Amino acid sequence: MEDDDEMPPSLVVADDGELQQPAAPQTDVAMYPEDENIQKVPITIVTGYLGAGKSTLMNYILTAQHNKKIAVILNEFGDSADIEKSLTVSGDGALVEEWLEVANGCICCTVKDNGVQAIENLMEKKGKFDYILLETTGLADPGNIAPMFWLDDGVGSTIYLDGIVTLVDASNIVRTLDEGDPETKKELTTAHLQISHADVVVLNKRDLISDEQLEEAKERIRAINGLARIIVTERGKVDKLDGWLLDINAYSTVTELKAGPPSKLDKSIATYNVTVPLVDEKLLSHVERWIQVLLWDGKLPAKEGVKEVQIHRLKGRLQDQSGKKLLVQGVREVYEIVDSPKQKEGVEEESASTGKLVLIGKGLEGVDLQGSIDWFLHGNGVDEWASQ
Amino acid sequence: MTNDEVKVDAPQDEVKEVTKEVPLCSGIDCGKPAGKLQCPTCLKLGKASFFCSQDCFKKSWVEHKRAHPTPIKNPFPNFNFTGKLRPAYPLSAKREVPASIPRPDYADHPQGVSQSEVNEKTTVAILNEKDIEGMRKVCRLAREVLDIAAAAVRPGITTDEIDRIVHEACIERDSYPSPLNYSGFPKSVCTSINEVICHGIPDQRPLEDGDIINIDVTLYHGGYHGDINETYYVGPKSYTKENVWLVETARQCLDKAISIVKPGMPFREPGNVIEKLAKGRKLGVVRTYCGHGVHKLFHCLPNIPHYARNKAVGIAKEGQTFSIEPMINGGGWRDHTWPDGWTSSTLDGSYSSQFEHTMLVTKDGVEVLTARLPNSPGGPPSQEILDNLGIKFNDL
Repeated sequence: MEDDDEMPPSLVVADDGELQQPAAPQTDVAMYPEDENIQKVPITIVTGYLGAGKSTLMNYILTAQHNKKIAVILNEFGDSADIEKSLTVSGDGALVEEWLEVANGCICCTVKDNGVQAIENLMEKKGKFDYILLETTGLADPGNIAPMFWLDDGVGSTIYLDGIVTLVDASNIVRTLDEGDPETKKELTTAHLQISHADVVVLNKRDLISDEQLEEAKERIRAINGLARIIVTERGKVDKLDGWLLDINAYSTVTELKAGPPSKLDKSIATYNVTVPLVDEKLLSHVERWIQVLLWDGKLPAKEGVKEVQIHRLKGRLQDQSGKKLLVQGVREVYEIVDSPKQKEGVEEESASTGKLVLIGKGLEGVDLQGSIDWFLHGNGVDEWASQ
Repeated sequence: MTNDEVKVDAPQDEVKEVTKEVPLCSGIDCGKPAGKLQCPTCLKLGKASFFCSQDCFKKSWVEHKRAHPTPIKNPFPNFNFTGKLRPAYPLSAKREVPASIPRPDYADHPQGVSQSEVNEKTTVAILNEKDIEGMRKVCRLAREVLDIAAAAVRPGITTDEIDRIVHEACIERDSYPSPLNYSGFPKSVCTSINEVICHGIPDQRPLEDGDIINIDVTLYHGGYHGDINETYYVGPKSYTKENVWLVETARQCLDKAISIVKPGMPFREPGNVIEKLAKGRKLGVVRTYCGHGVHKLFHCLPNIPHYARNKAVGIAKEGQTFSIEPMINGGGWRDHTWPDGWTSSTLDGSYSSQFEHTMLVTKDGVEVLTARLPNSPGGPPSQEILDNLGIKFNDL
């Protein structure tokens, strides 16, 4: 209260007894529901090279009739701390531009990323959106961004990671993958990374290529990422948004695990799978340790010749002897193993005789992945790697 | 002071009658008899200063207000505080650290940014023998400083005074008080009272009988940080059933978490242990802040959340040093931050307690580098107090 310095207060009549105490500020305790009853808003990360048609797709989404309140957040520098601008479309189609207030500097030892906090604050101010799309720069590695938004349930965030959508230009994706990175001269390009982390790949500019070229492009994408759904579009037009670009639920469900036989098409990154026997508590902890060594140490444990690997995406389904099903989800270093949600609802699922893990990553070509996990589970692997 | 001069200068015989009934106006160069109008600030301070009119008061204001001591007040009167605690400003002036004491990189950065922390975001360091000796030393010093601060805890002492004690104890030990200017933190220690979870800023509020206070001390010495905090009971009235239940559970949560630390322990595991114990006692575990790596950097990997079912990355390996520092709330787990940008308080106003140690992973277990000394102040209440309160911990 600067008035104190500028202007004197009103004199008081002494005889009238005590001064009036200022009224205590209202303590309006905004009680949050304590645990998981928060209505969460899905966030989809959208990546793709410059020229793949990201902006066109975004414009399409922002202007199409969908009666949904969608926020498109632009992330210019590939780091969520640099999120700065948000475009919001309301149900009635009006566009609003907002600057996000990202806190400067770091508050020590917080678990939430600044970008996440900024989006939560925006929603507190503007009301909830139905969907959030995070549009990254053309050179962003989605594997660096996804873990920031794949938050623990425990932190009670108002947003959750729905999935990663990658746009590719059908007319030159094969060439891009073949040529490697023009600057680093490495086989592995950002295009590889954007495809390997994707839950949905939008193969855009269909109109510029022949049917044969389309098939070739699809094959190349499947060879890298056997889990992603592929949508073919022209000029960024998508028939429907739900289930394709929105409500992907890539981090809460494990649907198809149909990774085909390892492909020889791409030596940089490919999709592989292993079968896992029915687990008990001990075996499960061994499976978990095997995953940890791959994801955290970047190593494929083996009886002989440990190999360097980099896992980008992991999905799996495990089962125990009682028929209980567990879902495995991972992106880069972060993974979780949780009870299958269907299990909770008591819905009967067909029983499998084995579990399965699908891994997308680099350095897996020509290695005996199945041999590694078998040795780990039944040999001495788990002891050797207990605390390395 | 003008009013005294007027009184003194006035011939005593003449004024005597008048002053009995009507005091003289304290206005500059006024000296007229005043009515019943008084300066409200002086009145509050129990001092009489009368004025003949609001006009005269206004004219004299610039001069008069100098006689007022700097008022202690809440700088955020419009903020919805969830408990009874209020910040008591002004903060004391920034305390200086002699140039002879080595400083961390953020000490002189305008926003207190630690460039070395920004640069190192990917790996958990394994310390060599020299590093480990450095950590042992700074952690021992941090324990000494915390104990000195704890010994000063009593009703009536302000947290600013505790800050001064911590600051001077650090300097005596050739150490920089790590919180000072870290991300712009204005003081040398965090003092968190009652419903404040952590990062409370020392100010002019005196401790009251019945408070609980967490003192979080970090020293930077010989190139290493040592980080430690404990919660203390203030005065006999603070040993209520609720307070003891809360504070002792927080203490036990830390002990229990430390008991599982050894090479191979996943960093996601302490949270499961902590939440199980706290939840079983109907207490909340704060989720916004987590344990952290600490050595040459103040805060770095690993992140060690204190809540269950987290996806923390990595396992403990021999030679790593980090903190575990559970914050336990009497009610719900949610926190919010005061407009000062630091003070984290419970959202429901319930009290909160925290304990922290810095530890080293050894070949087959853990060495608590900031362990209590035989004469450390604080600690759990006597069995007699527990019995009188009817508290039994059956789940340990």
